[in-house]
Amino acid sequence: MELDAIAKLVFDILAFSSIMVLVVLGLAVIASMMGIFNLGHGEFVLLGAYTVFVFRELGLPEWTGMLAAPFLVALVGLFVEATVVRRLYVAPVIAMLATFAVGLIIRETVRGLIGGQFYSIDEPIQGFIQIGDVSLSAWRTVIILVTLAVMTACYLFLTRTTFGLQIRGALENPMLARASGVSTARLYAFTFAFGAALAGLAGALMVPLFSLSADLGLRFLVQAFLAVMLGGVGTFEGPVLGGALIGAMVPGFQWLRELPLLNALIQPIVAEVLVFVAALIIVKFRPQGLLSKGRI
Amino acid sequence: MINDRKQAAPENGVPDRRLTRRGFLKGAGALAATGWIAGSAGGWVLRPKWSHASGPIKMGIATDITGAIAPSGNANWQIAQLAVQQINDAGGILGRPIELYLEDTASDPGVAVGNVRRLIQQNDVDVVLGGITSAMREAIKNPIVRRGRTLYIYPQLYEGQECTADLFCTGPTPAQQCDELIPWLIGQGHRRFAFPSANYLWPQLLNAYARKVIEDNGGEVVFEEYYPLDQIEYSATVAKINNENVDCVFKTVIPPGTQAFLKQLYESGFNERGGHVSCVYFDDNSVNYVPAREMEGLSSCLDYFKAVDDPFSNELQTAYDAMFPDTRYLFTAGSAATGMYRGVKFYEEAVKATNGDLDRDAVSAALDTAEIAEGPGGGARMIPGTGHCAMNMYIAVSRAGEYEVISKYDMVDPAECT
Repeated sequence: MELDAIAKLVFDILAFSSIMVLVVLGLAVIASMMGIFNLGHGEFVLLGAYTVFVFRELGLPEWTGMLAAPFLVALVGLFVEATVVRRLYVAPVIAMLATFAVGLIIRETVRGLIGGQFYSIDEPIQGFIQIGDVSLSAWRTVIILVTLAVMTACYLFLTRTTFGLQIRGALENPMLARASGVSTARLYAFTFAFGAALAGLAGALMVPLFSLSADLGLRFLVQAFLAVMLGGVGTFEGPVLGGALIGAMVPGFQWLRELPLLNALIQPIVAEVLVFVAALIIVKFRPQGLLSKGRI
Repeated sequence: MINDRKQAAPENGVPDRRLTRRGFLKGAGALAATGWIAGSAGGWVLRPKWSHASGPIKMGIATDITGAIAPSGNANWQIAQLAVQQINDAGGILGRPIELYLEDTASDPGVAVGNVRRLIQQNDVDVVLGGITSAMREAIKNPIVRRGRTLYIYPQLYEGQECTADLFCTGPTPAQQCDELIPWLIGQGHRRFAFPSANYLWPQLLNAYARKVIEDNGGEVVFEEYYPLDQIEYSATVAKINNENVDCVFKTVIPPGTQAFLKQLYESGFNERGGHVSCVYFDDNSVNYVPAREMEGLSSCLDYFKAVDDPFSNELQTAYDAMFPDTRYLFTAGSAATGMYRGVKFYEEAVKATNGDLDRDAVSAALDTAEIAEGPGGGARMIPGTGHCAMNMYIAVSRAGEYEVISKYDMVDPAECT
């Protein structure tokens, strides 16, 4: 393979990995810091995308919607936490089903509002960057950069700030945290809203790549869960690593088909299945995930 | 029971829901206006404003009002209402009005079969029009044609090879979409084709036909690949298109994959280097989900585009816009709406030919040779013994999001079931 092709390959894999990491981050924060598997996560992603659409319909530029999306989705997250999730911390399985129901309501409402149509959303920065013979998508480049920034910020926030310390403490030993004067209820509400905000950001940033439809978030949910499982629940780095891996495998297996022998072996419809097979094999040998609990 | 249904108000385009109370009607109307139409519990009926001694002609519409392809289904339902209203306003068919029955097929063949059966068993309709996907057609044709012994008209462009008796197709076939388009593409200097496709029946059979036409005309198919219907990552495919020097992408990838595919292709610089994309279901609605710059120059071949400039098509488009002023469900060919209009008019002509006899065999025989003088994009003529019709086809190219008609082909042969 020539250098150009390798550069393109690396970029494509990096870009899709970034999208996946962005989606996984919010899910991972809620799963790892609160012990709740939010099956409505895909719909928070959808709401982020929908926010950009609404802003555009109001005549505002797309980037304003992208800035507003995390905050608006965080508010929705706060509301869902206060009305549904808060009552179910003692029963994580029921909480999971409840978030699924919330997701269903959000998804079908959005479907109704957009009439079941697909809508294209423009990128604030369009076109592609030409470097030699390689052309790289400008917006995917932005997504890679934003993902790196958000990832770093999240990590610093959880490890270096008092608030982050309290969140981790409340996960480890809620009773002791409360005894030390930390309001765990408030912390959980904040964490859930924070996870929702990350989902909203992910949706807002990626909607120009895929166009808005009610099933936008659903498309990523299963892979995001796979990523969390692969990386290991209870850590911050684990799911991020898992997300990056899953994100790399999706285009990666397709690219493998460029190799002479594998071309006949891997059909495109098989490539997507291989992602799951590979992830399951890894989980088989590391059931606790790639990184085990208690790192952060 | 049928008689105590309320009179519907066709002006607002929202028919009464059967056996419901007033309050619910109001709510349902409001929901319907935003795209929520209550589904399968009882179906809908749109009654004519006047009656005839021998009763109305009952026409059943079975289309996807809810679910994944609801936008197309709603466009079908709306154009059916317009066509029927126009016929009724002009005095019906030989003096008898048409009563329109709707069942939601919900984009789900499993749900559809039961609902369609109700059209036939409970409402005893004289004809059923509808179905959009091939899977839907396959699911509902037996309940309608065989067990139901009722005429069935299928309106969508499709993969061909549907030769069931008493089933009439009013949308374009692969021959109609490829026979003119592909020689034109090759005439434009494109020789190396790629077939990125969604993995189901329509792309497979359409590709098989297109490949033959390409090879007959001296072109070659560099690769033909099938992807999962919801795949959204196409970097490897796009790289292959560029590496293999493909100059024409004949794509049958469908939403949501189509948006991601076209964007990645565009961002790879394919279009700027003079590469051409062709997609035979793209129409005036496509710009809603694909940015105009990413499909600039894309060619399509369909039986109607907004830019087709004949008096009847213009009038029809105006009437549709007037009846559904704020609708997001456009009257386009890719959604089967043009085929639906044609279907209603073909049925009208056939019943006129039988002198009002609604017996299935009589109408079917009349339909076999029926002809409509006018329709979207022009008239159409059934090819006897085939269940398919010849119609005008147009090659159009996207310019800044709008389709510009490049050339018109008169009465293109469907070449099916011969």
